[in-house]
Amino acid sequence: MTHAQATFIVNLYHKIGYGVRNIALLLFAFITIFPFVWSAILATKDRTTMFGGGIDFSLGDKLVSNYGNLLEIMDFWTGMMNSFSISVVGTAISLIFCSMAGYALAIYKFKGRNAIFGIMVASMMIPPVLTLIPYYMVINLLGLANTHLAVWLPFTIQPIGIFLMRQYTVTSVPKDLLEASKLDGASELRTYWSIVLPLLRPGLATLAIVQFVFLWNNFLQPLVVLNSPDKMVITQMLRGVQGVPNTPWGAVMLGTTISILPLIALYMTASKQMIAGLTSGAVK
Amino acid sequence: MYPPRRCPKLEETNRSKRQRFLNKFTPYGFLSPYLIIYGVFGIFPVFFMVYLSFHMWNPVEGLGSMEFVGFENYVLGLTDPTLWQTMWNTLVMAVLSGVPQHLVALPMAYLLVMLGSRARHWFTTAYFLPYITSTVAVSMIFYVMYSKDSGIINAVLAQLADGSLTSWLFGGLKDVLPLGWVQENSLIRYSVSFVVWWKYVGFNIVIYTAGLATINPDLYEAATIDGANSWQRFTRVSLPLLKPFIFFGVTLTIIGNMNLFDEPYVLTVGGQFAQTAGKTISNYLYQIAWEWLDMGSAAAISWILFVVIGIFTGLYFWFFGRQGLGDE
Amino acid sequence: MKTQLKAGVAALSLMAATTFAADIRIDGFPDYDTQIEAIKGGLTEHNVTMLKNNHGDHHTKLKTNLATGSGAGDVVLIDVGFVGSFVNAGGFVDLSSQFGPMADNYADYAVAAGKGNDGKQYAVPVDLGPGVIYFRRDYMEDMGYDLNEVMTDWDTYIDYGRELKEKDILLIGNASAVANAYYRFNVGEGEGLYFDADGESLVTSERFVRAFELAKTIREEGLDGNISEWTEDWYAGFREGKFATQMSGAWLLGHLKNWIAPDNSGLWGVSHLPSGIYGTWGGSYLAIPKQASNPEAAWDLIEYMISEDIQMAGFENIAAFPAHTGTYDDPAFEEPIEYLRGQKARLMFAEIAENIIPVTPMKGDLVAEDLVNVALDKVLNDGVSIEKALADAERQIKRRVR
Repeated sequence: MTHAQATFIVNLYHKIGYGVRNIALLLFAFITIFPFVWSAILATKDRTTMFGGGIDFSLGDKLVSNYGNLLEIMDFWTGMMNSFSISVVGTAISLIFCSMAGYALAIYKFKGRNAIFGIMVASMMIPPVLTLIPYYMVINLLGLANTHLAVWLPFTIQPIGIFLMRQYTVTSVPKDLLEASKLDGASELRTYWSIVLPLLRPGLATLAIVQFVFLWNNFLQPLVVLNSPDKMVITQMLRGVQGVPNTPWGAVMLGTTISILPLIALYMTASKQMIAGLTSGAVK
Repeated sequence: MYPPRRCPKLEETNRSKRQRFLNKFTPYGFLSPYLIIYGVFGIFPVFFMVYLSFHMWNPVEGLGSMEFVGFENYVLGLTDPTLWQTMWNTLVMAVLSGVPQHLVALPMAYLLVMLGSRARHWFTTAYFLPYITSTVAVSMIFYVMYSKDSGIINAVLAQLADGSLTSWLFGGLKDVLPLGWVQENSLIRYSVSFVVWWKYVGFNIVIYTAGLATINPDLYEAATIDGANSWQRFTRVSLPLLKPFIFFGVTLTIIGNMNLFDEPYVLTVGGQFAQTAGKTISNYLYQIAWEWLDMGSAAAISWILFVVIGIFTGLYFWFFGRQGLGDE
Repeated sequence: MKTQLKAGVAALSLMAATTFAADIRIDGFPDYDTQIEAIKGGLTEHNVTMLKNNHGDHHTKLKTNLATGSGAGDVVLIDVGFVGSFVNAGGFVDLSSQFGPMADNYADYAVAAGKGNDGKQYAVPVDLGPGVIYFRRDYMEDMGYDLNEVMTDWDTYIDYGRELKEKDILLIGNASAVANAYYRFNVGEGEGLYFDADGESLVTSERFVRAFELAKTIREEGLDGNISEWTEDWYAGFREGKFATQMSGAWLLGHLKNWIAPDNSGLWGVSHLPSGIYGTWGGSYLAIPKQASNPEAAWDLIEYMISEDIQMAGFENIAAFPAHTGTYDDPAFEEPIEYLRGQKARLMFAEIAENIIPVTPMKGDLVAEDLVNVALDKVLNDGVSIEKALADAERQIKRRVR
């Protein structure tokens, strides 16, 4: 075998390897996108054509009437705005709270550190099924019933967020940088704000996505807390019109599809921040 | 960066005293939002559930109707065969959906980062979609796909069993088709696990991508110069540095999967079929609490489940915590 | 007689109108939002809003509200499945004095179901689900069968299924429906569904064994399709005429006609259940939680919603079958139903509604219901013997019902 032949074979192998890899990536993308595309297609149909037999990927012609129906059966855009403001405020504040706590747990050695971390992890393990009633009792006691605050404030300190921030700090905040900052005479708060937070950017972007999705899709707490229709969030509204026999599926699928769009937009923005992390975050 | 401060010598001692005092309290200061909010919203539910587990309580009768029963709820729970059956179901589905999640997500994240930012951006967006698509849409779509007579999965399998090229491999299926993916006790765990896997792979890919972003590209370059191929760069550079993220991701999977509720609940239509193999312990305790209205018993089972998860998580921390938490 | 009653209702509404105007909220599930929207203009003295959540969520929220004593609306809608456990919970206002005088106007069994064990009326019926069996007329005609012959008893019903099988037609979508109908609608006098008057389990009694046997026969002989209700396969079954009969409430008619199988108009009919038993699928109740801020105004709304005209409006607006038996004389009940090939089905629904035998709700019904269903699933799908499955269920029921 000549050298040229050998190179050819090696290249061929590489090409086949890339081909297989790309096909696998695309196939997986297909599997993950499919349900979303399907719900978008269903949004253009009504119930008779939706369950009209077999699997049909053609677009229906009911988009406009579904939209009209959607606005008729619920205050759709009020729900979207409510969800949006709850998720934006809740996410922003949780980014600060979680990164503060995660930073403290990662960097400082202090009394009770392991205990606090342990309690945090343990509180993740409590089955959430039964906490609804005591949660509602607390909300009631504090006079927060029927407020949006009750729906986001308790979730600004989710252990998963703090844990993620802690892990991120451990890997991407070099201790000598903190020492240097201290020697320069910067206060602790200033060090956190101007040295640590920028380094955590990709992690914060990740947390923002996770937190925003959680707040946006959450419905159990809004269900028991929010009592007036003008305060309801979008998940609650979309669930509210579903009875097994009588669901206006076309309108629901349209509403569902629209309600996912802000999450996709946010993901794409946040994902850019993670790329930023790939280049600027590596200062070690 | 910052102008050096000029401090008169006299003030120095006072300042350093204050500084020491401040230093001591700094971590608590950073943790204060967590401590306050958890103190207000988080602690009461825990005590309430402990209290509840020693009482018999039908919630619709109001708070005044609790009746002390001692350890009866725990005894009832521990001797309940359904509890252990559902615990086992949970465990099986947790492993079936959890292990492949990470085995796929890790190399996938690496591949995507290597592909460059553009491809990565679009692919991760696609992969993350299941995580953000609402359970309603997801369940409805999978329900339709799993459906016995009209579902796409059975339709494809039937094609394969009949096709001249594929019948040698799939022909045996003819006798069992159509399969009741969500009706049969023998299949439900796989059907549920697939949906769980599908939903959370993207989430893990995102976590690992964010983790890979912390790795200095120079390290890859150095490894390449040393003659490492891309698989070796993955195993020797990426994996070790990703440990804290793998630790985080796996911890979440253990805890989350042991509390698995939504997917089995929705796919079995609120627990209408395949209850022997398809019901998780969270489904069971939901049923006891909210359908049978026996909150006390459900609280005791919650704590039993809590202990089991605690043991798994504890073992995991014991074996991998030192590396995973990045403590010296 | 009827005019007298009507006058009585009118007098009561006049009295009600003297209470102060108030903002009241009704908590419920779809499609009652459509009904409230349509009728609230008629109750001028109060300002009514509705808080709508889906069926399951609504009841979860209501349980949380009852547990903590706050957050419920002034009036709440309760599904028949929960009413038995709610009326004895002590969280609702006793409506006996208001509802008592007019109780005779409503279907007996439903009035009884709204009473607690203390005999007081805590919930009042607002709609019913009289149970019928839907059947394909054309199949029966093609095979030369007579409806009465088929529905004589459960054995003749199954025999019909055997004949259908020759032609590759299924008798019913799912055999479990037969078992359910049998043990639910053959309850003896003074018995509960799952427990006798002393609270002893009846789950291993002849009624359940026979019910399970019927279903098992159907499944083993391949007369059903093991198709679950409200699934894609079930809709397709209707559309493609896979099965010849289906038991359900009167309300299924609207769904068949509107979207499940609109093309099959004229092919279906409705009949009494086999062996002439009376049964019910679904139904809703109204109640006032003790925590309501406006119980008087809340009663005004309930009284309005169960008044004859509004009951009739509900039937037209959302196909909620009226609980008020006075409506059954309305000319609308005489109308032939085109989808059922001109059958005057509403008269049959009405006749059934008036003949259903009340079943006393018992503590533990919810537990027993689930465990019996699990037992049935084991018998039909996993080949467990009937005796063992029922004995297991009974043992678990005894453990769980304390």
